[in-house]
Amino acid sequence: MKTPSFIRLAVRNIVVNTDPGTIFFMLGLPAFYFLVLGTMFQSIVPGVSVNGSVVSYTKFLAPGIIGMQALTAGNIGGSMLWSDRRWHMFEQLMVGPFRRLDYLLGILVISTVFTFGGSAIMLILAHFVSGAFILTASSLAFTFLALILGSFLFTSVFLIIAILVRTLQTYNVLTILIYFFLDFASTAFYPITNATPLVLRDISMVNPLSYITNIIRSSIDSGYVSSVMTESLVLLVTTVVIMFISLRMYSRLKTVA
Amino acid sequence: MESDFAVYTKDLVKVYDGGKVAVDKLNLEIKYNEIYGLLGKNGAGKSTTIKVLTTLMNPTSGDAYVLGMDVRKKANAIRKRIGVVQQDESFDFTTVENNLKVYSMLWEVDRETSKTRINEMMELFDLEEVRKKRAFEISGGQKKRLQVAREFLHDMDLVFLDEPTVGMDPEMRRKVLDYITRRAHDGLTVLFTTQILEEADYICDRIGIMVDGNIRAEGTSKFLKDKFGKLKEIQVRLSDDSNAEEKSRVVDEISSIEGIEEARLDGNSVFILGYEISRKIGKIAMVFEKHDIGIESMESSEPSLDEVFLKVVNS
Repeated sequence: MKTPSFIRLAVRNIVVNTDPGTIFFMLGLPAFYFLVLGTMFQSIVPGVSVNGSVVSYTKFLAPGIIGMQALTAGNIGGSMLWSDRRWHMFEQLMVGPFRRLDYLLGILVISTVFTFGGSAIMLILAHFVSGAFILTASSLAFTFLALILGSFLFTSVFLIIAILVRTLQTYNVLTILIYFFLDFASTAFYPITNATPLVLRDISMVNPLSYITNIIRSSIDSGYVSSVMTESLVLLVTTVVIMFISLRMYSRLKTVA
Repeated sequence: MESDFAVYTKDLVKVYDGGKVAVDKLNLEIKYNEIYGLLGKNGAGKSTTIKVLTTLMNPTSGDAYVLGMDVRKKANAIRKRIGVVQQDESFDFTTVENNLKVYSMLWEVDRETSKTRINEMMELFDLEEVRKKRAFEISGGQKKRLQVAREFLHDMDLVFLDEPTVGMDPEMRRKVLDYITRRAHDGLTVLFTTQILEEADYICDRIGIMVDGNIRAEGTSKFLKDKFGKLKEIQVRLSDDSNAEEKSRVVDEISSIEGIEEARLDGNSVFILGYEISRKIGKIAMVFEKHDIGIESMESSEPSLDEVFLKVVNS
């Protein structure tokens, strides 16, 4: 039986992108956040209120770290296109037995695999550090939904950057800026309360990572809360819009630089 | 008609967004199992022609067929049956061996065949010593070898080689050219571009010289030399006691003979370039005699493909 073209391209992406640096970036940085920042703040923050109940800071942080995996994987997905264009492999693959859609699917598949692989590892790590989470069918389903939408959304965001930006310096600066901006201006690291500065509150409201984190947090920390449905819907619409823009730009992207 | 040729174009035009006409009413017919060399200066339209034929770019107008299939309508089917070595370096950021393994996996070469071919290519293209090195760590010539080796891992009916030997030393160049020739004997059709004319002379069955997006001259190497090589050069070696001023007068006088394109003095030799020069030997000898300059020897050289090329592109 023939392996579909996009799967072959996804396998290529794994072989080409599984260098120690990428693995470290994917797993090392969030694990560092979780273990160092999480345990450090836990010693000074007695507890954080989540949907009416108080949980430890590491338990609060864990969903944020899990959600961040989608952002990291999206960044890796975008960098694949940028790098393939820069080193003419995109052009080379496009004269091979592939269609443009296969190439895009190859990236989306690999971003999703990295998202779920990294999230699973973070969940296991958090389980040992913070204690058990609520893992019911519905909490897992919503976590799955948030991660898959997050993976598609952030991959689309970074693909747009990869299409627009030509120089390595600009690409690096932009992706780092977006990465840290989305990370720290979201609900991943701290709860948004009335005491939060207004600007941060507003940014957090339009930051997709906040929605991903909130859905996961409400699911595995609290079981289920009604806001999950609304937040899932907002995330779905945002993902569809960003993916549409990304697809449109990708379809117009010239193969030859 | 188009199915009779591996590559067939009729009035093919490619105009870039900025209005630059890269390919201008190109008519090309490449037979199956042929090694066809496309020569031309930088910007002549060779690479653009390859990009259109390999479906990377759409033609602006005209027809282009590859392996009997329309490049506009059957792009996917064409790409499954061709191989392309592009002018630009391209590689994955992994080891040389992994580059080859990944590429054969992408082309669905079965595991055993892939293993055998990778070992063959490693040996043939002298890549064994850099097998475990990452592709970005190896030299430019080695990267080019990797690019060529990679393309010959999979089965194909037609290969486009856009300056495949750039950066290679003469020995490796010869190895690569011999390998391409062997593959052509086994039934592969080759479209080959190069700036090194001896290469085209060495392996191509037919050569097309491209100027301003069109083929200006086409044929076998011998045909082109016969047709355009009437411009010949002779070297007249002078005796050591010749007077410098007289030598310079001789050069001026020879230059004024009808049909002589150029006469120049280089050390103790006079180089004379002209048409049907053998008929003018008598006149030339008389000029030397008139100025009392002794001749030690007189040699005529066969036209090279370089001369043909220069003649065509500058005409």
